[in-house]
Amino acid sequence: MEHIIKNTIAKLNTPEIEFADVRISFTDYEDITFMNGSLRNFSSDLGSPAIGIRVLIAGCWGFAGAKNLDENKIDILISQAISNAKHGGKFMQKPVQFPAMKPTVAEYIHQPKINPFTMNRDEKVGYLQNLAQAIAPQGKIVHSYVSGEFMRQERYYANTEGSYSHSVFYNTLPVMLVAAAEGSAVQTRTWPGHMSAGRGGFELFYEQQFEQNTQRIIKEATDLLSAPTITEEKADIIIGNGHLALQLHESVGHATEADRIFGMEISYAGKTFIKPDMLGSFQYGSPLVNIYSDSSDVRGLGYHPLDDEGVPGKKVEIIRNGILKDQQTSRHIAHMLGLEPSSNMKASFADDYPLVRMTNFCLAPNQGSLEELIASTEKGYLLDFTKTWSIDDNRNNFQFTTEIGYQIKDGRIVGIVKEPTYFGVTKDFWNACDAICGDEEWGFHGTFHCGKGEPGQSMQLSHGVAPARFRNINVSVKI
Amino acid sequence: MQNQLEYLQSKLQNEPDLKYVLIASNWQTDFLRFYHSQTNYNISKSSTSLGVTLYKGRKSYRFSVDDPQKDKLDQALGLALSVIDSLPEDPDFVDVENENSLAPKREIVNNIAAIPLESKTRILAELAEAAKPFDFEIFGTFICNYSEHHLVNSNGLNKKAAVSPIYLEVKAVHNQSQVTVMETFGGDDFSLFNLADFKARLLNKIGYCSAETLDIEPGHYEVILAPRCLAEFVQYLSFGMSARALDQHSSFFEGKIDQKLFPDFVSITDDPTDHEMIRQDYGAEGHIYKPLKLIEKGVFRAFTCNNYYAHKTGLPKNGNTASCLKVDTGDKTLEELIGGVKRGLYISSLHYMNFINPVDTSLTGLTRDGTFLIENGKISKVVMSLRFTERIDRILNNVAALENKAYTIPFSENYGSFDVETVKAPHAHILDFNISSSTHTI
Repeated sequence: MEHIIKNTIAKLNTPEIEFADVRISFTDYEDITFMNGSLRNFSSDLGSPAIGIRVLIAGCWGFAGAKNLDENKIDILISQAISNAKHGGKFMQKPVQFPAMKPTVAEYIHQPKINPFTMNRDEKVGYLQNLAQAIAPQGKIVHSYVSGEFMRQERYYANTEGSYSHSVFYNTLPVMLVAAAEGSAVQTRTWPGHMSAGRGGFELFYEQQFEQNTQRIIKEATDLLSAPTITEEKADIIIGNGHLALQLHESVGHATEADRIFGMEISYAGKTFIKPDMLGSFQYGSPLVNIYSDSSDVRGLGYHPLDDEGVPGKKVEIIRNGILKDQQTSRHIAHMLGLEPSSNMKASFADDYPLVRMTNFCLAPNQGSLEELIASTEKGYLLDFTKTWSIDDNRNNFQFTTEIGYQIKDGRIVGIVKEPTYFGVTKDFWNACDAICGDEEWGFHGTFHCGKGEPGQSMQLSHGVAPARFRNINVSVKI
Repeated sequence: MQNQLEYLQSKLQNEPDLKYVLIASNWQTDFLRFYHSQTNYNISKSSTSLGVTLYKGRKSYRFSVDDPQKDKLDQALGLALSVIDSLPEDPDFVDVENENSLAPKREIVNNIAAIPLESKTRILAELAEAAKPFDFEIFGTFICNYSEHHLVNSNGLNKKAAVSPIYLEVKAVHNQSQVTVMETFGGDDFSLFNLADFKARLLNKIGYCSAETLDIEPGHYEVILAPRCLAEFVQYLSFGMSARALDQHSSFFEGKIDQKLFPDFVSITDDPTDHEMIRQDYGAEGHIYKPLKLIEKGVFRAFTCNNYYAHKTGLPKNGNTASCLKVDTGDKTLEELIGGVKRGLYISSLHYMNFINPVDTSLTGLTRDGTFLIENGKISKVVMSLRFTERIDRILNNVAALENKAYTIPFSENYGSFDVETVKAPHAHILDFNISSSTHTI
């Protein structure tokens, strides 16, 4: 593959092409889903090839991609990419520019503890079947599923500056869900929530303690049918990791993707309330809030040796002590903002166009355990496990509903509430943060399904979080 | 691709115990994304794949092969045959699709070839030039797809279909206030695109933006929903109209067949034959796709139901997928609808909707790309984007009137292979709509 990619780059080293990069990927994917105790889907797509060629000509990008690595096809893609750049250049005002970078050569080969593609298949299917049968319809449980999505991806990158990387990694998305019903009421519980993906293999099912939590989600879904709703207008809330990862994702992660500042995502994902002059002065959150992007942390789904335009993986402080410091950028956008590129340009597959994407986007831990945080809360709710999420196209006005809320009185959990819903504005919310748990509660929580761009891409990425408390939050939503 | 399909079919003839479904797909897109009245990037993409589902008794295994050369197919089939016996059964599987009728033949124009990049950039340059005097720039996408699918299965189905959707979305954004309005074109027939009309509609909306911008208090408002909004609510409502949702106990319509749920003038059809929309010939399993009344004069009539869920739920199979939804028109002009509102809102578009509970159709979302205050029957001011928390059944029960004209609204299917579907809907006058928060009044 190194030969093919370098040979293609050689064809792109021409005077009219200011910059070019080529990416090749091979992806293995497997999905196993049990529904109501029975196998509903076992599917695979193994060794799927993809190639993408991006060229910059007279300040305009052109791109072509395909799932075919034949030499003739690659030559056609080169022509298409060049043609696309030239035609696009007829509708241009400000050409794309960015400084050259020193070339980097890197390799990363990841090995999971339990390779989901080579492990004993009977053991793999049998384990999931046992989980599925444990949560199959019973009592008031009317629907359930257990699902494992497994991916192995091998990626090659090269550009006309001489950078080259080769990486291999394994990612897994494990999840289970039960739905309980009584009359017209239906309540659901998942384990371990919707941010359960991680770098690794089948071991994630064991590490995330699926077997130990089957009875818990059955009981909680059933109990939610008769649980009350929150009655207060405002309350102190602690957000658990199963949901805080998404709060961080939506209201800080996407908001600090700097392509949104320049309107590059207006047509689909939207803009951001952040303006360039806020960097260095904007009080995004309370002084406890420290948030960073770290594509050099091998534990998360967002690790890479080089991003998809040749920038080495790195840690970038986005918010320090509550103040907005930096952005997630491409080389072009970083140049426009006077910043160093943050190594956030990613494409899901090689035939996708790279975009500014979150990698490992993290809230730094502070101190204390969740138990201690609950004990220090006189009255409020611990909210966890995302049910509904929504945020405006400036990443400002959000509203979330979690699957369950645990009511806290005098430092103890005393009951549950159903469909707890809270809403707010990004800046006010993060400034209301008065506690973040410590290292002992901090962990990565990932997704396979962060949608962005057109044609759309589903990115796999991680968030490091520890439970945090937010004071006096709006929790009253009525229709 | 035909060769690979026939090759695999011939291999499967040696496996008489197996039932199978094979779908060969070729997909291409030509994708221009623009911002600040200039190109952001131009993309050409293509893929060829063969999707295979094998059944042995009630056991099944699926695989897909991209760039399906014979050696890759042999390898994938070998793996499938070695795996399938060891898998648990799905007790609900009975048989693959057996509906053999063919859709009428129609000519499919490849719009990637029909609308070259030069034409796209010329159209966009003209729109950008028109918006410029008002200090607006244009942002958006201009997409043409072309895809072909060939489905064969062990019950003798042998069906081919092609589709070539067009999606043009232009957002005009004011350089200072960032106030945004949007105009779209969608369909598979570019002869229906009229640049002069498109430009006039965009400039008309830009005209509304010269008014004062304000924020409003949360509360219950009379609203005029633009066709895009009504279309999107109906799309969300249709999630509960599937037999799959019924089976999973997540349907609002459970136990409500033939019940009157909405006012008389609410009728919704899944119509794949309308030439002003993106047409469909077959459902995903190859069942012929025909018009289906979902809501008729307020009465819920049918679930969309494929072969698998027909066996599982006992509902009649129809192969519909709610991909071609049409809302019947009413008897008022848009001017009459707006004129009937003393103080309310005109909502152009919605953003980031999600169900709170699909069973009661409660959801939340935001307005986007042009929210306006209506005072004394006229659009008077620009309003900041607002959050609503509502139930779709409540919205439809609060419809006071519908416009006498429907518009084709394109929606991008943005996961997997990029695809486009259209919904046809009129403006709707809603008597009570719950604005639950606004960004500056929280």
